[in-house]
Amino acid sequence: MRRSLPIAITVVLGLLLLLDFVVINPTLAGLSEAILELVIVLAAAAAVAGGIALVLHHGRNLAERGEDLPGSVVLLAGFGVMLAAGFYPGSGGAGDPTVRWLVAAVLAPLVAALFAMLFVFLLRATGRGLLLRPRQTAVMVAAACVVVIFLLPVGGPLGGWLASAASWTQQVPMAGVFRGLLIGVAVVTAVQAARILLALDGADD
Amino acid sequence: MAPMTEPPADSAAAEPADAEGAAEDVRPPEYRGRSLGLARRGLPLWWLLLLALVGAGVLVGPSIEHEADALANPDPAAADAVGQAFGQLPPGALVLVAMDADLGTYPEIRGTTVTALEDLLRRGASLAFVSVSVEGRAIAAAQLEALRSDGVPAERLLDLGFVSGAEAGMVRLVDGALRPGMSGPLPALVAQRGGGIGAFDLILLVGGSDIGPRTWVEQVGTRLPARPMVAIAPTFAQPELAPYLRTGQLSGLLATIRDDAAYVRGTTTGDSSGLLPSAFALRIGMLVALVVLLRQLALALPRLRGGSPAPEAVEQ
Repeated sequence: MRRSLPIAITVVLGLLLLLDFVVINPTLAGLSEAILELVIVLAAAAAVAGGIALVLHHGRNLAERGEDLPGSVVLLAGFGVMLAAGFYPGSGGAGDPTVRWLVAAVLAPLVAALFAMLFVFLLRATGRGLLLRPRQTAVMVAAACVVVIFLLPVGGPLGGWLASAASWTQQVPMAGVFRGLLIGVAVVTAVQAARILLALDGADD
Repeated sequence: MAPMTEPPADSAAAEPADAEGAAEDVRPPEYRGRSLGLARRGLPLWWLLLLALVGAGVLVGPSIEHEADALANPDPAAADAVGQAFGQLPPGALVLVAMDADLGTYPEIRGTTVTALEDLLRRGASLAFVSVSVEGRAIAAAQLEALRSDGVPAERLLDLGFVSGAEAGMVRLVDGALRPGMSGPLPALVAQRGGGIGAFDLILLVGGSDIGPRTWVEQVGTRLPARPMVAIAPTFAQPELAPYLRTGQLSGLLATIRDDAAYVRGTTTGDSSGLLPSAFALRIGMLVALVVLLRQLALALPRLRGGSPAPEAVEQ
């Protein structure tokens, strides 16, 4: 009973949303809209709960003098500053100049810097990969080299040839592989969804 | 007298700094004392030199290259498709900008996004911004403010805000995009046309690594198949979005730097060099990556002929 109730709720709600997708009916539309509203409210509540849990975790870490105290201090300070900027009396929320300045001058450069470090970490990771699984990683690295060469921004006839090769690579082999992946993922998702909707998933029985 | 120990067979293992590590090193002999040992001492000098080269390229590149030199061989096909989709908009069109870029990859597509928004405004369209991702909301708020600062009339801009629930939020937008209490000429026009995404003549999808054009096509495109969608996305998203372009679910897609260069150059009336990444810096960075990858591949060649160690053993 404890397990069959969630399954029953999933089956009923899933079939309702599926029916609303294929049948035009005002009652079904109203029901599915109410379910969607509920999901949206739940998602917002989950985000707020996640934020509170994060603050409590790091607050407890500070109180108990646990690990990575500077990290907790920075996180709580950042959280507080961003909240204060978005919630002070008369604030414009996400569009407030203070929030926009914090995002543009602090958050965006920090995230961009983290992404820039991927350049170094990925190159280092290929070295590690070649140690752990040389053959598989060598294929990946060779493919990466070919793609980098094709995408080199050079002019003249050589650049034109490279650009044509890059376009062909994107439109033929890569597009084919990704189309297959997308179709495969969609089929597996549909099968799994059908198993859940029909309560055939043995793991949940 | 201290007992004599036999000298190690591997000369690399004899180095004092790596002696302890070499005793536990289960990697093949040609790798012992190499990268792991160097990693313990910090980055090798040649790595630092390559990084300095990339840094210099980023700093110096924009000042030494000319407009004509910027991003050679732009691809006009994608830009033409986007121009065609924009060209079919009716006068005074309503365009929904689904801003779900992320702060990490937005710098790559910022110039193209700004150019596309200016292009739409020049064609007389009004823009409504909505986001289902948090970072997208921050970028949308900044973009709206930038447009207002540039003198775009307030009655041509609409902020539909952030919608939580990701996919569920998108589906709800199909029937109701307006928030309670919204007033003004644009909300009134949207309400008059049904109040949902169907009220808009075109959807411009700006995506990132979180939630992106693919999700919009799957959730909204299937419910409103006649509504044209144009996507701007970072290069890594191109392979997963290209199939939707082939099926016609996307009317246009700008997802590589060559596409972006062609679109920005063909659309911007003034100097477009500040809207595109520096070709010089790109060249330097890509050449550095190529040198490192080829070097690592060359070092691994002897290993490819032999058997590889069990990954579990190396991880231990």
